[in-house]
Amino acid sequence: MKLRIKAPKDFWAGVMFISLGAFFMIWALTHYQMGTAVRMGPAYFPTVLGGLMVFLGALVFIESLAMQGPSLTLPFNIVDLVVAVLIYAGLGWIFKLMGIGGDYAILAGTVVLIVLSVLFRPGTKPLVLISAACVIYGYLMKPLGLILSTALLVFIAAFAGHEFKWKEVGILYVVLIVFSILVFVKGLTLPFPVCPAFMETCPIR
Amino acid sequence: MEILNNLILGFGVAISPIHLLYALIGVMLGTLIGVLPGVGPVATIAMLLPITFNLSPIAALIMLAGIYYGAQYGGSTTAILVNLPGESASVVTCLDGYQMARQGRAGPALATAAVGSFFAGCVATLIIAVAAPPLAEVALKFGPAEYFSLMVLGLVAATVLAHGSLIKAIAMVVFGLLLGLIGTDVNSGVLRFTFDVPELSDGIGFVVVAMGMFGTAEIIANLEQGEHREVFTSKVGRLMPTREDIRRAIPAVLRGTALGSFLGILPGGGALLSSFGAYTVEKKLSKHPEQFGKGAIEGVAGPEAANNAGAQTSFIPMLTLGIPGNAVMALMIGALMIQGIAPGPQVMNEKPELFWGLIASMWVGNAFLVILNLPLIGMWIKLLTVPYRYLYPAILVFMSIGVFSLSNNPFDVLIMAIFGVIGYICVKLECEPAPMILGFILGPLMEENLRRAMLLSRGDPSTFITKPISAGFIIASVILLLIVALPAIRKKRDEAFVEQKT
Repeated sequence: MKLRIKAPKDFWAGVMFISLGAFFMIWALTHYQMGTAVRMGPAYFPTVLGGLMVFLGALVFIESLAMQGPSLTLPFNIVDLVVAVLIYAGLGWIFKLMGIGGDYAILAGTVVLIVLSVLFRPGTKPLVLISAACVIYGYLMKPLGLILSTALLVFIAAFAGHEFKWKEVGILYVVLIVFSILVFVKGLTLPFPVCPAFMETCPIR
Repeated sequence: MEILNNLILGFGVAISPIHLLYALIGVMLGTLIGVLPGVGPVATIAMLLPITFNLSPIAALIMLAGIYYGAQYGGSTTAILVNLPGESASVVTCLDGYQMARQGRAGPALATAAVGSFFAGCVATLIIAVAAPPLAEVALKFGPAEYFSLMVLGLVAATVLAHGSLIKAIAMVVFGLLLGLIGTDVNSGVLRFTFDVPELSDGIGFVVVAMGMFGTAEIIANLEQGEHREVFTSKVGRLMPTREDIRRAIPAVLRGTALGSFLGILPGGGALLSSFGAYTVEKKLSKHPEQFGKGAIEGVAGPEAANNAGAQTSFIPMLTLGIPGNAVMALMIGALMIQGIAPGPQVMNEKPELFWGLIASMWVGNAFLVILNLPLIGMWIKLLTVPYRYLYPAILVFMSIGVFSLSNNPFDVLIMAIFGVIGYICVKLECEPAPMILGFILGPLMEENLRRAMLLSRGDPSTFITKPISAGFIIASVILLLIVALPAIRKKRDEAFVEQKT
């Protein structure tokens, strides 16, 4: 069976709205109390909203089959998306069995995604690398400190762009880290670890 | 005379050195991000929210407000010189401003934009001072039913004004409302949609969502498009407009100011809508509509005055009702809440120095902006030559630092990245993120007012249409929806957006 979708953007938006709405509605109905119209329980409002979202999603969905719309271009396909989710789920499960914290599973999954994206789906580099750079920065801040995690953030993010020159990015990194330390650590006294946790004395601060 | 006394109180607050400094920092930053394409006021304010924690409430609001209206000034510079909107509200300024620059009249275009904006800013400040107190008076009488209906109206207005499909925009609002419900239910104490993640029990931070949807998502989208920016390198030339220019610009500025001030107050309004509206009006009224798009000075003066007026009057619903009209105002409410101030009509009476200080600072900020934008224009032009590949890693660093410092928890950064991906998907599916953000901030408020209203009426939903004020809001929402749903007007609206996009 091959269904011709006339408006792919609306089609997938409809699918997204229907599934999200249905998820919120069903989850609320099965986990929380409904209550009455006078005394609304925690499930009441989410159920109504979820239902509304399914209805709106259905409208978009039906319209997409009838009316012509712009085509959708994505640098990845639905299989890639499933693979990405499976990587995180699988690693989370393995790390849990080995007794290692969930944070490391998230880190490991992100690193695997970066490698896969760069090797097999260069089109997804902006999406994967920018998101991954933030995640890595956040999860490595405590063990590695501001100086090293910012380096990872800047270099990974810069690698997502069209041009990557080591010298340029290096200079940019130095400027940014000096600025961050002066403004955020010294100026605004935000409690960031500057140096890696394994260093016993930190020359800065 | 009460207004005069209040304004004197406000100016006393606004011209204290520390507040002058924060107003200056705010408008400087605003101009900076306004000039740079790809960085908007929403992301910037979200980025700075964690930092305002260390400031006094007045200083924080003065600075954040400066960023919003400062961005309207800066955006026009890029629009005129590069033919790119530095800020989304200056999209229409590109049409005629860039044409003027190509004819060697960049100077007069910039001067008209700056002076027009200054005039509009002054008028809008006065309008806030006059209109806000009586509105707050009325709002104090609002019960839960009125609040609920008002929020419905605000959300409907936000969807009507979004680009593209109306149904998708409403669905995005609902999505935002649902996301806003994540966390502990205030009435029953039940943890909703937290999936046993302890960090979610307080709900998702608004700042985190805004940064993901508007910050990282935008960077990803920009990187995918590739870099193609040509700076208009010709000299700006003399700034002084000719006498003919002035004669044509003045009525346009007046009309733009009036229209912008009005559209800014409406829920869902603000700078963006105002500038679009003003351009259409100028084109309709002009004796030479054929000159539009070819360098008509009215096409610069009107929208620029309107977007600045709209940016400022959009503070009125936020300050008097505690309800945000657009995403920036939602962030302002976030800033108030960080400071432990419950936004609403009582702010004006309980904290007059905050309220009037903010209003007075807007005038001060506008004066700064004229100085920043005319004599120092060369500095901003230099900035335009900085390529995006230097900018976006810097933006990412600041965003990540800001989000991480919220609670020193990597989980927040993860959520930001996830919302970056969601935002990217929404862009690809042509679903506007702005209505979602409004829904997100209003979700818990709406549920609470709905519950209270239903409790008071003993479960009778007709309470929303039997109370006159509430009925008025509901009727207005229905009319708005009908207007947009009608095929003829819908077509016009689509055309308008298409025309203004090019």
